[in-house]
Amino acid sequence: MDSSRRNFLKGTAGIGTLAALEINLGANAADIINNGGDKSVFSFCEMCSSRCPIEAKIVDGKCKFIQGNKHYSTTGTSVCARGGAGVNQLYDKQRIVKPLIRVGERGSGKWRKASWEEALKYCADKLGEIAKTHGPESVVFTAKSSESHKQMTNFACSLGSPNIFSHWSCCPITYQVAFPHTFGGSLSRDYSKAKYIVNFGHNLFEGIDIKYTKKLAKTAAKEDTKLLVLEPRFSVVAAKADEWLPVKPGTDLAFVMALIHVWIRDSKYDKKFVEEYTIGIDEVKKAVKDTTPKWQEKITGIKSTDVERIADEIYKAAPKVIIDWGHKTTTTRAEYQRTRAIFIANALMGNIEKEGGLYFGKKAKTFNDLVGEELFPTLNDPNKAFKVPKTPRIDGAGEKGSKNYFIARKHGVLMDIAPAILNEKPYPVKAWVNTRFNHLINVVGEETTIKAIKKLDFILSVDIYMNDFTQFADVVLPESTYLERDESIQDKSGSLPAYYMRQKAIEPIGDTKNGYDIFRELARIMKIDQNYTWNTIDEFRMQQAKGNDKLLAALIKDGYVEWKVPKLYYREKKYVSKFVEKFPHASTFVDENGEMSSKVKFKTPSGKIELFSQQVEEALPGEGCIHPANMDVYDGHELCLMSGKTPIHTNGHTQNVKVLNDMMSESPIWINPRTAQKRGLKTGDRVLVENKFAKSYAKVMVTEGIREDSLFVYHGFGHISSGLKRTYGVGLNQSKLLNPAYGAVCSTMVTNVGVDIKKA
Amino acid sequence: MKKYVMIHDENLCIGCQACSVACRNENDTSDGVYRLQVHAEMKGVFPNLKTNFLRHSCVMCENAPCVEVCPTKASFQTDEGIVLLDESICVSCKYCVLACPYDARYVDPITKNIGKCTFCFTNRVAGGEQPACVTVCPTDALTFGDANDYNSEVSKVIATNSIKYPKSELGTKPKLGFVENKKGGRYE
Amino acid sequence: MNNMWGSMEQFSHIYWPWPIAIYLFLAGLSAGAIMIALLVKWNKHEDNTNSIWDAMVKAGAITGPIAISVGLLLLIVDLGKPLSFYWLMLKYNFVSVMTLGVLILCVYTPISFLFAMIIFEKEIENSKLLSFLSPITKFIRSFAHLAKYVEYILMILAICVAMYTGFLLSAIQKLPLWNTPILPLLFLVSGFSSGIAANILVGMAFFKGSLNKDSIKYLLVLDLRAIMFEIPVLIMLFLGLHFAGGQAAEAGVQAITHPTYGMMFWIGVVAIGIVSPIVIAATALKNHAYRPVYIVLNCFLILIGVVLLRFFIVYAGQICTGL
Repeated sequence: MDSSRRNFLKGTAGIGTLAALEINLGANAADIINNGGDKSVFSFCEMCSSRCPIEAKIVDGKCKFIQGNKHYSTTGTSVCARGGAGVNQLYDKQRIVKPLIRVGERGSGKWRKASWEEALKYCADKLGEIAKTHGPESVVFTAKSSESHKQMTNFACSLGSPNIFSHWSCCPITYQVAFPHTFGGSLSRDYSKAKYIVNFGHNLFEGIDIKYTKKLAKTAAKEDTKLLVLEPRFSVVAAKADEWLPVKPGTDLAFVMALIHVWIRDSKYDKKFVEEYTIGIDEVKKAVKDTTPKWQEKITGIKSTDVERIADEIYKAAPKVIIDWGHKTTTTRAEYQRTRAIFIANALMGNIEKEGGLYFGKKAKTFNDLVGEELFPTLNDPNKAFKVPKTPRIDGAGEKGSKNYFIARKHGVLMDIAPAILNEKPYPVKAWVNTRFNHLINVVGEETTIKAIKKLDFILSVDIYMNDFTQFADVVLPESTYLERDESIQDKSGSLPAYYMRQKAIEPIGDTKNGYDIFRELARIMKIDQNYTWNTIDEFRMQQAKGNDKLLAALIKDGYVEWKVPKLYYREKKYVSKFVEKFPHASTFVDENGEMSSKVKFKTPSGKIELFSQQVEEALPGEGCIHPANMDVYDGHELCLMSGKTPIHTNGHTQNVKVLNDMMSESPIWINPRTAQKRGLKTGDRVLVENKFAKSYAKVMVTEGIREDSLFVYHGFGHISSGLKRTYGVGLNQSKLLNPAYGAVCSTMVTNVGVDIKKA
Repeated sequence: MKKYVMIHDENLCIGCQACSVACRNENDTSDGVYRLQVHAEMKGVFPNLKTNFLRHSCVMCENAPCVEVCPTKASFQTDEGIVLLDESICVSCKYCVLACPYDARYVDPITKNIGKCTFCFTNRVAGGEQPACVTVCPTDALTFGDANDYNSEVSKVIATNSIKYPKSELGTKPKLGFVENKKGGRYE
Repeated sequence: MNNMWGSMEQFSHIYWPWPIAIYLFLAGLSAGAIMIALLVKWNKHEDNTNSIWDAMVKAGAITGPIAISVGLLLLIVDLGKPLSFYWLMLKYNFVSVMTLGVLILCVYTPISFLFAMIIFEKEIENSKLLSFLSPITKFIRSFAHLAKYVEYILMILAICVAMYTGFLLSAIQKLPLWNTPILPLLFLVSGFSSGIAANILVGMAFFKGSLNKDSIKYLLVLDLRAIMFEIPVLIMLFLGLHFAGGQAAEAGVQAITHPTYGMMFWIGVVAIGIVSPIVIAATALKNHAYRPVYIVLNCFLILIGVVLLRFFIVYAGQICTGL
């Protein structure tokens, strides 16, 4: 019995037994649990944050091939280029596979190898000393999303620092903030059944998330549906559109407000829905009084007649319409109002809990309530003992009176870290602990960050590659890649209850460790691990599953488990009756009209969809209602530099993965032929891009696929870490040039910025 | 007799290269060469643009010029019409590379053998699986199967779409067909 | 859209590089040299032993087998897997021009050596170095009555070799510059002219007969005719591409305007290989009573022209595809 099985047994004692587990797994239990030989391991991906379920094929103990997990029918065996390249990352010789302690100057890339024992002890001593001398809040924590973030948060809470940050503020924070304000929670988009989709550069065909990408691609290819895309660049999603409007960068808000204006002017919206489920329509009416199609024409460049036509088209298709709020919503400082306006537009079309519209994701608990019994297993959260300390944060997130009042204290505002370190305000920061996030590529102000980094007493970074931030660390702890890690059970419910779980496909390569173990061990050494109720990930999982052997066995076997229930939209009679047919108890929730309106609940202060938000108005006067300001992203320049995603790379993370680097080794700036001609530029020319924040060099590519007043570059290049041998020094890091002023209410980093460009 | 056909729906294809990566890992393709690529071709003048996504790989000709010119019959066709290469008798004269109208062949920089897409015939299809590219395609733009079986998925796709075959004027009778891109090029 | 599908080098790679061009040149030269030797032998040889005619026959008999051997060596070296070349002789595909070429060469090459041994019978027997071969020459001698048939067969094979090199390329439909029926004719004519030039040079260098003005004139005029014949053939090649239209026409234009290969064509093939021999023939040779230096210069220019024609066709053919 290998050690992981022994631990497993230990962890399950009392609440479930390995023997029971083996019975549940059936005849191949030994094959599934033991490594070695040919087999398939079902897990989920970590090449980007979409976390698609995968099947890793192992041949002769080597992971050879990755495809989608067939048990998850939404994506089936599909996987993207990055997902497929997980194998190549796993066996990359340039991975960090041994703890490293800095020996040269910070950032010099000079290291000595150390044992885990020594490296962890070193970190524990340093962090302990700093926490003791300057207070635990003097340590800031950054992480990429997902479980890495949870592991780090647990440790930060144990240490007593409230300064916990995720990548949210440079990516999806706008909708993460605007959703609770408007709907009290997040909504899902029913791309498959929609008849009309308005897409504001939500580039699902380049920023791939297979469960959405597949559905949108199929809907877009249908003859009787319409995909309208507003984007300054002819992206792939624009190429697949039925209509493409090359909108001026940053001005989507004006377009949406004009749509709302037309609908309200002509009384063409779902008045019954608005009356029943929303508050604040009068404030909206006032706000859009003057936002006419003609008004927006000067701002967006879209003809007023087009807006009139589109408003009509959408209304006719309602409620099978989706006005898509996107994902990386970071286009202007008006981002919060843009997203709110989009939410309001959806509400006006009455598409909530409707087929082809928007719906609330439903988890096991929701279904159990509906069916009146515990049919579907629910999970415990062993992390719930960890609470973010109530002490003030450096960015004031969640604190009354702060401009970051509405920002979750587990996610924070990344752009505030470097200034806080440099100005020692509101208090000195002495150490930075990071796991898997590359602050230097993803956050505005590379130079400022480096200056701040150099001021710190201690930096720890957990990573798999010598990423740019990691290169500046004092200690680097090598994490195993996702193909070598067992992790916790995750809720994968959407329209039916489902769970999935990351599992190791092979034993870790080199001297690497699971992030769970790294932070758990660090907490133990520092004797701050009172809240940890588990020692190993197996124990963690068993606690989550509440000792449910069957659930765990099914997850180990298939990586994904779901329970077939009829799809349910509360406001669709057809679906409600189908559901009730199968689960008669649910009839108690059905209204006279055949819907389940009592289930359509919004966890906002008013319990309704808040088209106007009193709480926002109170905290940040003027922001409670949509208003058209702060759309400028040119800042006096003739050109705006935008950035976006490519299907080949994930943010700043994969440029050094050989196969992906071979396919896309650089990222030139897109420039319109007319713009290029004026400046004497041709494809391949080296250019200087500059504004008041920074200057940087890049190559250009002349293409018709972009507005004359815009430039575009795929994000993630311009690495300054010599440890990333394949991509070091190639391309432009747009973050360097960004304006540090962030968007109101949601504190989003803005990734459109005015620049000048000339031949270098 | 089976007739394996692959259809690439250019309307669904988003040029994400998932197929290409899967192909490389499945077939251990050497660095620097590709059995399969999807090329994006943007055409037109702003804002009247169109981007076509074109699959570039062996099209499995029924009348294969590569098989015809091969002096040792190392390039051959299976009964199912799959064009393969017997590496043991290939001298790597590269005549087939030059003869292929689809530029689908290359010289492996390490083994010097001639490389090309095989529809994953021996490693997957023969065992009842789909080719790697078809398996992973995020948008299901690829369909593969036996066109002589009227119930197969690929037969349905062929029956319900207008299928084009690349350079069909050459008389090579490819078994990789495509549904032409209909999107783009007509914006205001 | 910027490239995100990886290197496209494999689509523009030159799969048949310089060794193939040289091989094509040597094969044509070999065949030409043999043809001249045989023509001279049949028409002029009887009563003129130890003359320039004799030197021509000897030069052809030695140049033919050596040139083809060197060419074949290059051909094998250029294979991706040179050590497995023997499969070419074990496995046949009769619809492949390459297989047909292998078969022709498998007969042509030994017979060209046989021809050399017949011609150099005395020299072999008298040579200390080569006398060990005398049993073979004696054996060949015993079949003397068949010698004429061997020569006829060799003549046919030489024509086949010269033309097959053209067919080898013209079978490639994808490349417009190659995919033309003119190519075998062009290669035959230019192979013939290179054979004359090579034979004169080799003959003058190693088998000095009396430099008879009439005989040299005969050969040079013959070569001049071959060159003059090359002009319409080349014109036909490009006119053919032009009238084929589309990709082929574009390929033709690309080829003769290409910065490197266009230059190679106009300066190498046309100016050096065609115009200058004509000029020399029309001026120097006429006025200087066939002084050796001009003869040698003339022959070298012809050879340079022919080798550059092969380079031009091989490289421009692969690069200038009209796409």
